Amino acid sequence: MTSHEWQEQAAPYALGILSAEERRAFEAHLAGCAACRADVRAFAEVAGALAHAAPSAEPPQSLRDRVLAEAQRVRPIHVGIARRARLPWLAAAAALLLAVAGAVAAWRLTGRVHRLEDRIAVLDSIMAADDSALALLTGPDVNVVSLAGTDRQPSARVVWNRARNRFVVLAFDLPAAPPGRTYQLWAIAKGRSPMSMGTFNTDAHGRARVLLPVDQQIAALGFVDNCGLTQEPSGGSPQPTETPRLLGAWRRTD
Amino acid sequence: MATLPNAPVPDSQLVSRMAAGEDAALGDLYDRYGRTVYALALAIVREPADAEEVVVDAFGQAWRRAASFDAARGSVGAWLATIARTRALDTLRARGRRARAHERAALLSDEGIAAPIAATGSDPARAVERSEARRLVSQALAALSGPQRIAIELAYFEGLSQSEIAERLSEPLGTIKTRIRAGMEKLRGLLGPLVEGAA
Repeated sequence: MTSHEWQEQAAPYALGILSAEERRAFEAHLAGCAACRADVRAFAEVAGALAHAAPSAEPPQSLRDRVLAEAQRVRPIHVGIARRARLPWLAAAAALLLAVAGAVAAWRLTGRVHRLEDRIAVLDSIMAADDSALALLTGPDVNVVSLAGTDRQPSARVVWNRARNRFVVLAFDLPAAPPGRTYQLWAIAKGRSPMSMGTFNTDAHGRARVLLPVDQQIAALGFVDNCGLTQEPSGGSPQPTETPRLLGAWRRTD
Repeated sequence: MATLPNAPVPDSQLVSRMAAGEDAALGDLYDRYGRTVYALALAIVREPADAEEVVVDAFGQAWRRAASFDAARGSVGAWLATIARTRALDTLRARGRRARAHERAALLSDEGIAAPIAATGSDPARAVERSEARRLVSQALAALSGPQRIAIELAYFEGLSQSEIAERLSEPLGTIKTRIRAGMEKLRGLLGPLVEGAA
């Protein structure tokens, strides 16, 4: 590429819309090109300013408390310690490269460290979510039902955590309901009409992990015999409009 | 996002205090940027509950990674906006693109996503600064050609790659690349007052 062609990448790079391949090539170029680094910086500020183009919206008062509560839970990463502890090979590589290539390598490596830190942060949040999911899935007052189709797949598992008054729904290989449709779960007790447990949909991979509050009527019964899954119009139906696609009997776990 | 001109403490100093573990500095940062970050998150994810999650995550990440903030690489506002936008787009992708068909339709209308300016909020001085930033950005976007603005908004608020934008708009990739580049160049010129000295 000519230097002019490289410069054309600065704006889309700052917007984060280059393909992975283009991004890697451009970052390699950035290491040795101060002009492009300056462009990226300027366009990153433009991108930052675009946040002001979002329609005005008032966050709830409680959000500030949640942000601060999160800070109470997690202490800031202290760069020296955290990077050494988490990424010993990277720190070693950084030292070596810094010695060899000086500022050029530092620029590239800082980018890599930031990306890796981002990934760590994402993994941290996934782990935190898993922790709370695990807390919901275990305990003395938990019931579970496995729902299976006739041909083994798709499948779903629903956990009823009474202490927290939540259903935890885990679905696998269940193709996402088409637009305008949703999946709905039903609590089926002998001698009663099915009671809605709530609606959800699966992602592009056919998976779902959702929490549904337990309806008072179901909570009052304390136990139901079966659990069924149907596909309904968006928003759910008062009563199932089709034979359950998945069905299972509740059992107690431990 | 720009630095607030009348802020008693520079943004970068707040971030240093956060790195030292000072919760109050995080509270101050939230007071400065919470509304803007929330509005940005909401514009991307469209669901208030998801937007709140994004805000908590974004400030949480800023808090944890405060020590790695490097003023030489850009302003605190741009740093926060990048973190929040990345989180919001992750949420959006995780939720799947299918459900957003109607939102796309809205984006592609003449009106676009940029909103009229509104200045409300508890702190009048902040509200005025925010409102000024919004006015500048809104004016700058209005100065772009319609196709330039739409391409940039699809990139920014939907996180679409250039080829995805080309596909969405049924235009050649080269055309889209040119539009985004020209539009961003123009914004860079027009937003000079807002982003200058933002480090």
